[in-house]
Amino acid sequence: MAINSGNGKTHNFKVVLLGEGCVGKTSLVLRYVEDKFNSNHISTVQASFLSKKVNIEGNRINLAIWDTAGQEQFHALGPLYYRSSNGAVLVYDITDEKSFQRIKIWVKELRKMLGVDICLVIVGNKTDLESDRHVSLEEAESYAEKVGALHFQTSAKLNEGVEAMFYALTQKMLEKTLENETHNVSLAGQNSQSGNILVVDDEQTPSTTKHCCGSS
Amino acid sequence: MDGLHSFENDKSSFWKKNSKAVPGRPSPKKEVQRISRTKTVGPASYHEFQASISDAWAVEDDDFCLTSGTKISKKVSQSAALNVLNVHRTFEAPVHHCENVNLSVQEKNVTHVKNKFPGRPRPLPSSTNTLDKNTESKLERFETLLANTPTIDELAQLSWSGVPQKVRPIIWRLLAGYLPINQERRQTILERKRQDYWNLVQQYYDTERDEASQDTYHQIHIDVPRMNPSVALFQQETVQKMFERILFIWAIRHPASGYVQGINDLVTPFFVVFLQEFIPNNEPFETFSLNTLHQDKLDIIEADSFWCLSKFLDAIQDNYVFAQLGIQQKVNQLKELIQRVDNNLHCHLMQHNIDYLQFSFRWLNNLLTRELPLRCTIRLWDTYLAEGDSFASFQLYVCAAFLLYWRDMLLLETDFQGLMLLLQNLPTQDWRSSNIDMVVAEAYRLKVMFADAPNHLQNNRNPR
Repeated sequence: MAINSGNGKTHNFKVVLLGEGCVGKTSLVLRYVEDKFNSNHISTVQASFLSKKVNIEGNRINLAIWDTAGQEQFHALGPLYYRSSNGAVLVYDITDEKSFQRIKIWVKELRKMLGVDICLVIVGNKTDLESDRHVSLEEAESYAEKVGALHFQTSAKLNEGVEAMFYALTQKMLEKTLENETHNVSLAGQNSQSGNILVVDDEQTPSTTKHCCGSS
Repeated sequence: MDGLHSFENDKSSFWKKNSKAVPGRPSPKKEVQRISRTKTVGPASYHEFQASISDAWAVEDDDFCLTSGTKISKKVSQSAALNVLNVHRTFEAPVHHCENVNLSVQEKNVTHVKNKFPGRPRPLPSSTNTLDKNTESKLERFETLLANTPTIDELAQLSWSGVPQKVRPIIWRLLAGYLPINQERRQTILERKRQDYWNLVQQYYDTERDEASQDTYHQIHIDVPRMNPSVALFQQETVQKMFERILFIWAIRHPASGYVQGINDLVTPFFVVFLQEFIPNNEPFETFSLNTLHQDKLDIIEADSFWCLSKFLDAIQDNYVFAQLGIQQKVNQLKELIQRVDNNLHCHLMQHNIDYLQFSFRWLNNLLTRELPLRCTIRLWDTYLAEGDSFASFQLYVCAAFLLYWRDMLLLETDFQGLMLLLQNLPTQDWRSSNIDMVVAEAYRLKVMFADAPNHLQNNRNPR
C-alpha cells in the first residue's frame, strides 16, 4: 500500500536491537542517532535507550530505540524490550557464524511472541572486515526472505548502509501502521501506550493503576 | 482502645495489613504508642473511622470504588492508608496525593512526628559536611585505630562515612575479610592467599580450556577492552590481562553465575585502590603506566583485587545467577519503596510508562558504577564494605536515595523519552565524595525507617 502524505500526526515507533555480544549493536545505533563511531566504546549492560526523529514523506516519526546487551545471561530480559516493539533490528557480525545462528533464535522467539506484528530487519554488520567474512550474503538473504525479514549489510565504522537500513525499517513500520489504521485498529497506539502499562510487574489491576496516577 | 489501634487490629477491615504496623513507619510499635498516648480524640472503632472518612472519595473516584468493590487488593489498601497518614505527617509539603482523603482528626495528633517522615528526599544532613572537612583528623583516628587491634565493628563504624585514601587499601582488605585483624597473622595469610591465587591461575587460566570455559573466556575477552574506554589506564595491555585473569578465575570458581557483563566494572574500584598504594607522589592513576611498576607489585594488586572482589560478591551472588532473580526482586522492592516514600515521583514514572527494571537493573547489576565517576564509586564502596554482608540490602536503599536525589529533575520531564534519557544519563560528572555522603546518609535514613517494617518490601503477589 502506498504511504499517505503526512497528515500532521506523529507516529511513535519502538525499535529494539538484538544480537550476540560485540557484533556492533551499539555502534549501529550511535552511528545512526549521533553519527559517531568509536571502535572501543563501553559494553552495554542490560539496555540503553536512544531516540531519533525522522520524517518520511511528510509523516513525522519518533523512533524510541532500545539497544540491548548481547550477553546470553541477559537473554531473559529480552521480552522487557521487544514486547510492544514495532520493529526489531537483528544484528550479526559477518565474520562470526555463531552470531548469525543467534539471530535465528531471536527470530523464532519474536515470531512466536509477537507474530507478524513486528517488522524485522536482519543486519550483517562489519562489512569493513569483508576479507574475514564467515557468513555468506546469499545464505543470510535467503534466510531473511524465508522468515519475512528485510536484510541489510552495514558497516557502522565506515558509515555504510546504516541510514538506509533504519530508513527501510521505519518505512515498513509506517506502512504496517497505516495499513492497520485503515482497519481502524491502531496498533501503534496500543503498542506505545497501553502495552507498556502491562510491563508493570505487579498484581495491581489496571483500573487501580489508572486511578492512582490519573488523579495526581 | 484508641482508634489507630482498633483499625489496625480489626480483622474484618480491608485497611488492615497485619497486626504489626503501618508500612513506612520508622519504629512502628514505639510510634504507635506515642501517638496513641497523645491522642485524645479519635474514632473508637473501625466503623467510626470509616464514617469519619465517608467523604473521602471525590466524585471521580466512584469508578474506582465500583470496579474494585470488596475485592480491593491488600496492596491498594495499604498504599491508600499510607497516603492518608503521610498527607498528615508531611502536612506542609506540597504533596499531590492520588487519593483525596481527609482525616482531620489525626492532624493535631501526629504533628510531633511529622518531621521524621521525609516523603521526599532532603539530602544534605548537616553532619556529613563536617566529616568531610575533617579528613585529616579522620586519618589520625584511622591510624590510631590501626596501630592497635581494632574490631571489625570499630573499623566499619569509622569507615562508613568514608575512608581517607592513604589508609584505604589496608582498610578495604580488612573490611572485606581478606586481611586478618590479628597483626601477627597478616603477613603469612597474605603470602599464602596471594600464592593461592597464582596457583589458581596456573591451574585454570594457563592451561587448555574446555568449551564452556572457552565461552566464558571469550565473553571476558571482548568485554575487558570495552571497559572504561575514556580512562587511559585501562587501555594498557598489562591491565587488561590482569582483569581477564581475575574475572576468568572468579567465573570458574562461581559456576552458578559464571561471568556476567558488569562484573568487570566491579573489579575496577579494588584494582584502582590497590594500585594507588604503589603510585608515588599522588600521581593520578588515570594516566599511570603500569610498566613502571615492578612485577611483584603487579602480582599483589592482581591477587588482592581478586580476593576482595570474591569476598565482596559473595553477599550478592544471587544477583548474577540465572535470570538474575536477585536483581529482579530488588527492583520490585525499589519500586515498592519509592511508592511509599515518594508517591508523586512513583506516579509520575508510572504515568509515563517507565518500568523500574528498565533503569534500575543496571544500577543494581553494576552497583552504580556506570552511573557514577570512579572516585565516587570508590567512596561509595567505603560504605558498602563497612556494611559487610548487609550491603546487599543496603544497596537497595542507596538506589532509592539515588533516584530520589533526581526527583525534581525527573518531575520536570514530561514524556517517556525525556525521562528515560535522563535516567540513563544522570548528570553525575561533577560529583564529589560529598554527594555520595548525602546519598548514603539518605539511604541510611530510609533503611532505619523501614528496617522495622519488614512487610513494607514484600511483593504482595497474592492480594486477598
